[in-house]
Amino acid sequence: MLDLLAQTGLNAVYAASYISLVAVGLVLIFGVMGVINFAHGELFMAGAYAIVALYAELHLPFFVAVAIGLLFVGCLGLLMEKALFRPLKDNPLGGLVASIGFLMILQALAVMGFGVRMVHIPPVTQEVIVFTEKVRLPVARLYVIIAAIVLLSALWYFLKRTKFGWALRASAQDPEAAALQGISITMTARIAMFIGAGLAGIAGALTAPLVSVNPHMGHSVIVTAFIVIIVGGVGSLEGAIVASVAYALVHTFVTTFYDGVLADIVGLSLMLVVLIVKPTGLFGSADRA
Amino acid sequence: MPKFLIWIAALAALIALPHGLSFSQQEILVFLTINVLLVASYRLLTLTGEWSLGHVVIMGVGAYSSALLTKKLGVYVPISMLLGGVIAALIAVLLSFPLFRMKGFYFLIGSFAAGEIIRLLWKRFRDPFGGAKGIKGIDPMPDFSVGFYQFDFFEPTSYYYFAGIIVAVCLWILWRIEKSPVGLTFHAVHWQDKLAQASGVNVRAYRTLAFAIASGFAGISGALLAHYIGTINPNAFDIDLMVYVLTWAIVGGTATFYGPILGCVVLTVINEIVLRELGLEQMRPLIYGAIMILSILFLPNGLESIVQKFTKRRAAEGAPERRPAE
Amino acid sequence: MISKIVKSGLTRRTFLKSTAVTAMSAGLPAASLAAGNTIRIGFLAPLTGAVAAWGKPGLDGCQIWAERVNAAGGIKLGDGSYDVEFVSYDNEYDPAKARTGATKLIREDGVSFIMMLGGDTWPGVQPVADKTGMLFSTLLPSDLSPDTNTLIAPAEVHPIYNVTGVEWLAENKPELKTAVMCAQDDALGLPSVATYLAAFEAAGIEMLDAPLLFDPATTDFAPVVTRLISKSPDIVCLDTCYSDYVHPIAEQLFQQGFTGQIISCTADFYDQMIAKTSEEFMEGFVFQFPDFDDPALNGDNINFTDPNGFYEAFNTRHPGQWGAVSWEYASIMDLWKAAAEKAGSASPDAVAAAMKEGKGKHAFGDADWWGTELFGIDNALVGDWPVVAIESGKARIKDFRSIPDWYAKHGDLLIKHMQAYDQMWNQRS
Repeated sequence: MLDLLAQTGLNAVYAASYISLVAVGLVLIFGVMGVINFAHGELFMAGAYAIVALYAELHLPFFVAVAIGLLFVGCLGLLMEKALFRPLKDNPLGGLVASIGFLMILQALAVMGFGVRMVHIPPVTQEVIVFTEKVRLPVARLYVIIAAIVLLSALWYFLKRTKFGWALRASAQDPEAAALQGISITMTARIAMFIGAGLAGIAGALTAPLVSVNPHMGHSVIVTAFIVIIVGGVGSLEGAIVASVAYALVHTFVTTFYDGVLADIVGLSLMLVVLIVKPTGLFGSADRA
Repeated sequence: MPKFLIWIAALAALIALPHGLSFSQQEILVFLTINVLLVASYRLLTLTGEWSLGHVVIMGVGAYSSALLTKKLGVYVPISMLLGGVIAALIAVLLSFPLFRMKGFYFLIGSFAAGEIIRLLWKRFRDPFGGAKGIKGIDPMPDFSVGFYQFDFFEPTSYYYFAGIIVAVCLWILWRIEKSPVGLTFHAVHWQDKLAQASGVNVRAYRTLAFAIASGFAGISGALLAHYIGTINPNAFDIDLMVYVLTWAIVGGTATFYGPILGCVVLTVINEIVLRELGLEQMRPLIYGAIMILSILFLPNGLESIVQKFTKRRAAEGAPERRPAE
Repeated sequence: MISKIVKSGLTRRTFLKSTAVTAMSAGLPAASLAAGNTIRIGFLAPLTGAVAAWGKPGLDGCQIWAERVNAAGGIKLGDGSYDVEFVSYDNEYDPAKARTGATKLIREDGVSFIMMLGGDTWPGVQPVADKTGMLFSTLLPSDLSPDTNTLIAPAEVHPIYNVTGVEWLAENKPELKTAVMCAQDDALGLPSVATYLAAFEAAGIEMLDAPLLFDPATTDFAPVVTRLISKSPDIVCLDTCYSDYVHPIAEQLFQQGFTGQIISCTADFYDQMIAKTSEEFMEGFVFQFPDFDDPALNGDNINFTDPNGFYEAFNTRHPGQWGAVSWEYASIMDLWKAAAEKAGSASPDAVAAAMKEGKGKHAFGDADWWGTELFGIDNALVGDWPVVAIESGKARIKDFRSIPDWYAKHGDLLIKHMQAYDQMWNQRS
């Protein structure tokens, strides 16, 4: 029983890692751009397909492929900023529709380039850290956990300790006042889109060898990310991380000790309860609703 | 007088329409008619400034209710459709208690979560909802004759006339509501939230009212769908269809009554007829997505703004239109 | 105007004819029902969207089938030979679009037969089938009920054939005593759960846990696998999981140290699973869908035309895409072609009558039209089904086993478990 608890705990840590990478990116984009990026799950998918193309087909070293994947998806983010969100910056619903259009295009491109069925990615490593016979952590999963910790710490440092980060937070809180302070809204928007998309991309790239990569894989990711950012509070990075951990724990333990369908219902109910008790989420403030 | 003539001409065109279409286009016309009601009811909700992602699930509530009423209790079909709408409205009132604690983005996602929970309940409780497979063999609308026309509801043309009449009546009611003092208050709730509150308007009550009315008509559209295709399942009311409704409304424009309807008609014709005729199976979503993006970029006020350009010129004295939601 | 003519009280047969006439008079391209020497076959399945994997590869297989048949002289009917042409309509796995598609295929394209994936989409099409008398096929016999007279399930009797794998396992590896199972909570997963439960009970294998259901949107399977192997079972059963689930589950079983027996309905792309795990880990993996280059398919009992050549053609054109549905639609066409040639006609009534006369030519051997007890109608073609195991990295047919024989002995168990999961035809509302 102790083994089962420990293994489930490890499973939850892994789940929390990739969910928080996706959710933090989504929060960052919403915070700075004021747009709900419906295509965020497809950015995750694009990261996974970057690994298919670069690692599985061109045989580049895995971490090189991941790095290029991050840049590639980050650039997709820049493209979205320039082509969609900037022209529509006074029209958040327009941004929403544009991101849905973008999602359809990315999915169709994946289908045309790689087929409708799942594609194969050879394992990066088959090594497993064996704690006991029944408590094991595959090294490929450890990479995801480490990446989440490193990247999110770096992001936290960037936002709280650097001038760029200060500018980013300022324009997220009050764009007009930030502009008066001489902060370039365009520049902060670009940075936010690049980082937000890049985080989704690297989550997709790192988990690609561990999940089934298919053109529709973004769907379940975005649903989970929505739940998480609502529970955490839409504008709050800390909230997104805390909620990712909480959601991953609840979902993993309910799946293991009851069943997966119940875990979904519990996850959604949890979110509704949070919304009813504190409509702005755990860490949200009322003014950014 | 000319206006009267325009209405007559439009009516004649709508009656003649199915006879100029191929069989499969007639089928599409039926679904289009039902979706027109869905998207028009969605607009009423957006009048108060709230955008929901649960509207399609509410449509499903109407569909499931009407289907179960006829199947389990033997209720006569048109009455069950009406009851389906009523039940959808009641569920909406129930949902409004948690949901209207939220606004804006939170309401958007909160409504999505509420809808997902309803869908999971349909999946979870195989009795009576039929689980993931849903309900099939739903009684069709019984055939009848009105003397000069024999309604045979297997035929899309017949069902188009039947659904068309119901949808027309519903649209007329929606239009009357919008132009009534209640409808004007909806506008006020959206634009002058604090002011409306200060002048004694119970904002929450009006929001709930708009939500319930919109949901009721969505429920009727769901019932119309259920009794035509004869089967419903939880996946038919998932976020994919909701995304379509949202894009119809926004691409069409929500400043006018006809904007979302225009969006629905134009986008459906493009997706279901034009792109299919071109034989672009795998590329269809790509082109549809591109059209959505282009239209929102170059027609930020929706397709309705094209129509307005022409009508404004002729009726310059008309009341100022509501500007699109920001 | 057209629809008014059609509406005026038609019987099924005149309906088909008159629509062809009206279609011709309207100058539609579809007028070629009799014109030219081509027979059109409808393919009404998801080609885009999340379920496309169950449709698109089948259409690819049908194109190959059509080329091979046309090159060999086409279909020989009473009045000469005809080429075959497939007309597809993407139903996006939506009942309403399936209805529209069926209408188009029948009334505008003049097809003689329509193949579907079935499932959610069939109930939308059923009224059209009833009215027109068009012959339809489905891959999912759970669509069958007493009133589906024109629907046949001639390729796969999912999930009943899964009993053969369990029966074979119990006979050949009697030391395996305990099992666990997981499945996605949907229309494919649940009847399969009931079937495997019956098969395990019949084989005297004990279930250590209730079947673990997960949502179809699940992507991370570590928690599912942790639960599955927590009681150290001898057998892990993957039910009818889609390949999107089978692969990550197998990978997790490997990584979490499971070394026992795995049984599954499908193992599409099993070479990728071996690459993700190891050859030793996958050795002995039992499933139900053979590669068609298997020498066992060259026996006289097999009715599929040149399976080895078909497999080669498919792999040349769509490398690495071979899976369960690649051949199933094509095998239905073999059956249809044999029946049409026997009847000397492509009309749905004649083909259906010829098809159901005596033994049916199922891909894996002559089989019986069967199903009244489970589906309420004898429209499923049931006979032998292969048990496949992976040996040294290659799928090999180990045995053909008779489904009716199993059912004769253990049918009551199957009905008991089907009822417990609300899967009997009279429970499916």
